Order: sequence, then structure tokens, then C-alpha cells
Amino acid sequence: MGLGVDLPPLDEQIKSNRLRSRMLFVLFFAVYGALGFAVSLRFGPGAFVVFCCVAIVIVLVTLTMGDDLAVTVARAKQIKSREECPPVWDAVEVMAIASGQPMPRVYVSPDPAPNAFAAGKDPKQAVVCVNQGLLELLDKEELEGVIAHEMGHVRNLDVKLMTYAAVLAGGIALIAEFVSYMIFWGGSSDEEGDLGIVGVVISILIVILAPIAAMMIQMSISRRREFLADASAAEFTKYPQGLASALRKLGGSTVPARTGSTATAHLCIVAPLGGNGKASSMFSTHPPLEERIARLDELAGGQLHVSRALGVTAAY
Amino acid sequence: MTAVIVLVVIAVVVGIFFFSTYNRLVSLRVAAEEGESEIDVQLKRRHDLIPNLVESVKGYAAHERGTFEEVTAARTSAVNAQGPAAQGQAEGALTQALGKLFAVAEAYPDLKANQNFLQLQGELTATEDRLSAARRFYNTTVKALNTACQTIPSKWIAPIAKVTEREFFELDNPAESAVPSVSFN
Repeated sequence: MGLGVDLPPLDEQIKSNRLRSRMLFVLFFAVYGALGFAVSLRFGPGAFVVFCCVAIVIVLVTLTMGDDLAVTVARAKQIKSREECPPVWDAVEVMAIASGQPMPRVYVSPDPAPNAFAAGKDPKQAVVCVNQGLLELLDKEELEGVIAHEMGHVRNLDVKLMTYAAVLAGGIALIAEFVSYMIFWGGSSDEEGDLGIVGVVISILIVILAPIAAMMIQMSISRRREFLADASAAEFTKYPQGLASALRKLGGSTVPARTGSTATAHLCIVAPLGGNGKASSMFSTHPPLEERIARLDELAGGQLHVSRALGVTAAY
Repeated sequence: MTAVIVLVVIAVVVGIFFFSTYNRLVSLRVAAEEGESEIDVQLKRRHDLIPNLVESVKGYAAHERGTFEEVTAARTSAVNAQGPAAQGQAEGALTQALGKLFAVAEAYPDLKANQNFLQLQGELTATEDRLSAARRFYNTTVKALNTACQTIPSKWIAPIAKVTEREFFELDNPAESAVPSVSFN
């Protein structure tokens, strides 16, 4: 009781994340194949082969260095020992222990926007990245709450799915842009290709659909997971008030993200590009902050704070 | 023929169910063992810090012998405690003794400014944060493990998987729950 999320439903979540990770690659290849087909209608089968090669490269990049990409996007610097940044190192180490996960690599980004994210292909090679802005805003227990939320994403295998999604969806968006450019402006040869107007219509349809598919991938991933990660954070810290208070502060912050992008938005603790408010709709990566805080307060109403008060740290 | 198919289907379903429950029990046991060894690591770090801490306080307050002896005795019984329940109790007593030691230190401004003492105190606090985290993970895992050992049908499979119930690691010390941490920053 009290924990909100017990082990069996979380097991289900973890299993479903594994399945979804695989389905993501299938979906990626489907969208990519459709795009390649559209291009080949216009430029011949050679283009399709080129497309398949690019797709394979993207998948290989995803499988070998997905987490590093996310960190590079955030222009973050790795913290290799406790001395470099004790508050972050301590919070990550404590929460790694509390979640029963191996110690992830720790990064600090110079971004002044208060935010944090986790990435990685599996819990053994996870990455936790904290923005400088977050460090300046939060106290120890709030920071622990945020890190615990990120370790929740790691433990629940969200990061695996999210990292794949970030890179794959980014790949689709990139290529769709390129293809639409080629189809609308490139290819000055004959006015109507081999399939004539039908081919052009199909091509245009696919080009419109591709970014939507990429968006669907991103959306299928985030919102419910945020609640689950919040619940996991409460489980690890036994102190939901810490995260709740952090979220309140983050909601009040107006510092704009410098390195945020749609590709990494769903890896963050709060939506970096806005959309944490009441107006957040289907298209937001995160649920409204009010709702997350309300659920945490609900957890705090249970017996959780009692076990925290019994902790050995309470004595001094 | 139909009967054979039905029997095979039932056997397959039961088999899948058996193996998934078996694996879940074993992974819970492994997680609990990992949690226990993490607790042991942090306990050892804590115990190793204490003699140095006592020495550094002695340098400034040599006549507070009663407190030193109490801390040393509490440490010895904590080191010798066996099993999560006994360990938890001994650690609670040690925490109380350490509380007295820090209360003594409060009276000596020179000691409170001593770099060595401050560093030891910081390390002790960091170790206790980790210990507390390890304890939370262990207890959450043990709760799931014990629930699995008590509920049907995993209860039937537990003996086959050689999984048994475990003790919680609790620090039942009334003084601790009465004194919540207060900070004014």
C-alpha cells in the first residue's frame, strides 16, 4: 500500500516497454520504407537503395550511441568524480542505490533552464544529465526527488524506449524534410513521373504523414510514464514532498531552455519548450504540472513521510 | 484427439506460468541479496569512519570519556550484530550515541572549525544517506518478496525456487522519529 505503484503493474510496464522498443524499430522501418517508396516513384529504384542504406546507418547509430547523442545535444560535460560536483554526484549515487540500479554516468549541462534528463540504451549504460539552472534553484531534497524521477525512468526502461524514440523520430523528421524538399523543388526532369499524378499525390501524402508518424512515436511514449516515474521517485525517496516542491519551483521558472529541442523534450523532468500548464493538450510531452503535484501530494498523505523520518539522516 | 490438444494447451499454460513465477521469485531474491550487500558496504564505511571521528573529538575534549566509551561500545555491538533486524537495532543505538558525540562537539568552537572533523562529519552524513537509500531499496524488495512467499500461487513455487521470507532492515529508534531534520537555508 501507500506506494501507489506496486511491483506487478510496474513489471507489466517494463515488459511493455521492451515490446514497444522493438515495435518502434518496426514502425521506423515501415515509415522509412514508405518514404523510400515515394522517392523511388520520382527518382527511380536507385533512390530506394540509398534510402535503405541511410536507414540502416540511423539504426546502427541509435544502437551504438543513442545516449551520447542526447548528451551532445545538451552540450553537457561529464562529471567523473565526486569532487567535481558533490551535490549532483551524491544525489545520483544515493538514488542509484535506492533504485537498485548501477551508478549511471553523470553529466552537467551549462543550460540555465532548470531541467534534467536521463538517457541510455539500458540501465547498465544510463546517463543522467542535470542543467546548471536546476542546481541553482533546488535544495538537496528537491534535487534528490528530480534525480529519483530520472532513475525511475531508468529502472522502468523508459530511457531505452525514449532514447530510441528520440533518435529514430529525429531521423524520420530529418529525412521527411529532405524528401519534401526534393519532391517539391528538385527533379526538374519530366513533369509527370512514371506513375503520373497519382504518384505525386501518394508522395505528397506520405511526406505529410511521415512527420505525423514521428510525432505519434514521441507521444505514445511520454505522458503516462511521467506519472509512473513520479511514483517511482516517491518509492525511492519515500519522500514525495521533495519532488512535489521541485516541480512547483520548476513550474514557476521562466528561464527559457537554450539547448532544448523537440527531439529530446520527452527525456526531461518537465517539458522544456513550455506546455506544462493547464493548456497542455494531446500534443504535449508531459502531463500538466498541477496534476503531477496533486498526485505526489496524495502519495505524501499516506505513510511515506514516516519512513523517511525514521531514516538515519534524520538524527543530525 | 481433442482431449490431447486440451491437455497439451493446459500443460503449456501451466508451464509458462510456472517458469515466469519461478523467475520472478529468483530475481526478487537476487535483488534482496544485492540490497543486503549494499547495506553491508555502507555499514562498513560507517563503522570505519567512527574511530577517526572519535579521535578527532578527543583531541579537543579529552575529558568527555563517557561519551567516547559509549560510541565505541555501540560501534562494537553494531559491527558484531548479525541479521537485518539485529543490525538495524544496533545501528539505531549507534546513531543515538553519535548524536551525543556531536552534541559534545557543539561546545567546542575550535573543533567545529577543524577541517579534519568537518570532513569526517561530511563523509559520515554522505554514508548515512547511502545507507538510508540502500535500506529503502532492500525493504521495498523484501516486501515484494515476502508478499510473494505468502500469497497463492507463488507461495507454492517459492520452496522449489529456494526462496524464503526475509527480515526487514528497520531502525526502530524512537529518538530518531521524534527528531526530524530541520534546516534553515
